[in-house]
Amino acid sequence: MSKERTRLVRTRRTWRGIAGAVTAIVLVGGGFAVANASTDTQTGKSAAGVKRPVDKKATGVGAVVSAANEFLNTLDADQQAEVLLDFSQANATAWSNLPCGSTCRPGIQLGSLTDTQLAAAMKVVKLATGTGKGTGYDQITQILKADDVLNAAQATSSAGPAPSDTASSTASADPSATADPSASSTATDTPTDVPTGTPPSGGTGGGGMGGYGSGVYFLAFLGTPSVTGTWQLHFGGHHLAVNQTYKKGKVAGASPFFVGVEPSSWTDDDGTTYSPLEAQRNGMLALTGSLSTEQLATAKLSESFSDVLLGPGEDGQFPATKEGIKVSSLSPKQQQLVLKAIHPWIANVDDATAKQLMKTYAHELNQTYVAYSGTTALDTQGDYVRIDGPGVWIEFVCQNGLVFQGKVHYHTVYRDHTRDYGSEFTFS
Amino acid sequence: MTDPRTWLTTALRLVAGIAIAVPAALLLGASPAAAHPMPHSVVQLDVYKDSVTARLALPVGDFTTASGIDLNTVKSSALATKSQAIRTYLAAHIHPTTLKGEAWQVAIGALSLSRTEQTSTGPYRELVARAVLTPPAGADVRHFTLDYDVIVHQVVTHITLVSVRQDWAAGRVTGDGATQVGTIRLDVRHMKVPPLTVDLGKGSAWRGFVAMLQLGANHILTGTDHLLFLLILLLPAPLLAAGGRWNGGLAGPRAALTRIGRITLAFTVGHSVALAATALTRFEIPGRPVEAFIAASILVGAVHAIRPLFPGKEAIVAGVFGLGHGMAFSFILAEMHLSTGQLATSLLAFNLGIELVQLLLVCLALPSLLVLARLRVQPVLRVTGALITATAALGWLADRLGLPNPVARAADSAGSHTTGMLTVLALAAVAAVGWTLVVRQRGRGLPELGTAT
Repeated sequence: MSKERTRLVRTRRTWRGIAGAVTAIVLVGGGFAVANASTDTQTGKSAAGVKRPVDKKATGVGAVVSAANEFLNTLDADQQAEVLLDFSQANATAWSNLPCGSTCRPGIQLGSLTDTQLAAAMKVVKLATGTGKGTGYDQITQILKADDVLNAAQATSSAGPAPSDTASSTASADPSATADPSASSTATDTPTDVPTGTPPSGGTGGGGMGGYGSGVYFLAFLGTPSVTGTWQLHFGGHHLAVNQTYKKGKVAGASPFFVGVEPSSWTDDDGTTYSPLEAQRNGMLALTGSLSTEQLATAKLSESFSDVLLGPGEDGQFPATKEGIKVSSLSPKQQQLVLKAIHPWIANVDDATAKQLMKTYAHELNQTYVAYSGTTALDTQGDYVRIDGPGVWIEFVCQNGLVFQGKVHYHTVYRDHTRDYGSEFTFS
Repeated sequence: MTDPRTWLTTALRLVAGIAIAVPAALLLGASPAAAHPMPHSVVQLDVYKDSVTARLALPVGDFTTASGIDLNTVKSSALATKSQAIRTYLAAHIHPTTLKGEAWQVAIGALSLSRTEQTSTGPYRELVARAVLTPPAGADVRHFTLDYDVIVHQVVTHITLVSVRQDWAAGRVTGDGATQVGTIRLDVRHMKVPPLTVDLGKGSAWRGFVAMLQLGANHILTGTDHLLFLLILLLPAPLLAAGGRWNGGLAGPRAALTRIGRITLAFTVGHSVALAATALTRFEIPGRPVEAFIAASILVGAVHAIRPLFPGKEAIVAGVFGLGHGMAFSFILAEMHLSTGQLATSLLAFNLGIELVQLLLVCLALPSLLVLARLRVQPVLRVTGALITATAALGWLADRLGLPNPVARAADSAGSHTTGMLTVLALAAVAAVGWTLVVRQRGRGLPELGTAT
């Protein structure tokens, strides 16, 4: 009897053990399946976002706010959270000229948006920026195109020959695919390694951590878009940083605005030639070209430049002493050329605001300085021009090409001594 | 029921963690470079007891602009024609001082040109210069002011990253990677380049000792050749030779242990003596012959494991070949250019590290060696092991005589799988012990078989 019972108990135990094992397997397997399934459907099933008011009849900043809301309405809750961020100093100053993707800038990546969402996003940028040809929104779209050209050149590893805009739409479709064929070199390129004699691996220079292409640009609203509060439109990627700060329905700052381009010019498949920074460069050439030998001698800086002084991270670091030639010493005609040279940068903001800012800078023209380094031709590495006033700060510099080696490319920045980020922050 | 799940999640998490942490570390490491699209200068400091050596890597483009010495079109072979001008320029822009302002001496050493690339810069050429910075007698090498404006005095957007590559007294001895000390750049507001205050913290002989101990332990663990030599000599140790073959039966556990102990000890004495002698006399030995000699020693060991070449004299052979291995160890110390005091401490710690790991590995291999000798398949296993070892040795020998080959590469890479190697050894040891216990148990149960063991 007792033996029988022990046997029964044993059998039961065995069965229990097997059942336990089976349950465990099912649980683990199920867990896997659920985990996989949840990651698969993550993008599709996110909660719907909050709907915001859209006013199609609004004008000025009202129209920008309405377009911003319209864009937000096309997004789900997770995407809205990517776009709507705090207007903190950390977020505002997180912009870069580098192809560092999302590692150096906040916001939602254009390449992750659907066509409808992308159109809505670009509408916001369009309304917030100027309507001039070769400046403002037109210029911004050309900078994005240039990055597609870079991406295509990088992909075919053909650094050198004249670029053609072949892959602009296909290359931008999947920004993750652009992620850096030279990842290995990026990893080993830390300043901590000993680079002696190691030839660069994998063809041309790396696209950094984000890669090139019009899909690797980011849009963020810092603070909630409104015609009453304070918020910032933050848009950029490689060679581009647009920062428009709105306060109580007005633009309180259209800077910092970084704009650069490589290649400096190219011809599209349909024969269109692009040179996105032509307006900026021509303005500067006209100005320096008007200076006499004596004026040039005064304007010449003793230092050399391989980049702009006040690029990303250099907020508030304006030199205490202005250098170069004082605009008040120039002829009225030359003074007009200074204003004309300034204008293409200011024109990045909506036309009405640009007009206001130009008025201010015209008013401050007598305390403004023009300086240059290298040559005035703006076609050689190290050629540099600067306009520094009580408000305005503009730098234009030529750098050797990175992807298209042997050609120069341009870096420029527009800042305002007091109006950067709408004067919201102080920098030590 | 929850156990397998937690176990699995932990394992998965670990894998995921590694998968995230490694690239993240790489990216983090890269971020200082990403702060600037133009190539920057890199200054790496090697900190010694009485001086600091700086390795300057300077982008040729900005260097040319700043110095007026055109290196853009100068080939490496023609660098000598510019070296005087380069040295004068560099010396004029590197001014270390004590924190009180007393000047250090600066001597510019070897110059060379090479090609490199940083994050987002594309490939470019760089000038590499060596500078020896020596404080006034008795002054602190670990705290000083580096008034340095090479390139940036003129190209004001130029950035110099300063890091420490080797610092014995701070326990940084491997030279892999470097810790950043600071950045030298223009203060744009004042258009001046502020000097960098270098604070290397407190150094101590103890930290150097510990670092050298780890270096020694790591060196033997990852240096497959040293280990292989010892193990292959130990392989036939429990066997007796007879008639030019390993046919003489078993040596008996005690005799086997004594032999293993003597071989290990002889190898230790051999390499310790050679290491101490070459390191302390700073005797410069060419690396290749020594490395080839080591490969040959392994080959001899492998042949001996197949057919006894020097039965009973393994200890002497281990001692003699150990000398060669010791010389190879000394290369590492020689590269570090340490002061005599630091060298003596390093020698002790480095050797101790080697011995500790060697002891651990021999202890781990011991049960397997003893058990293997008792198995019927022993000859097959022994000969297979010896043949594999011989192949590796031949590969190394060819490689070190100037013929790089996949065999040598594969054998070298085995050293990077230390965890796997240790696990296999440990598992084999456990299995061997288990096997012995089982055999003993059976032996007790069936006394008639007891005599067989």
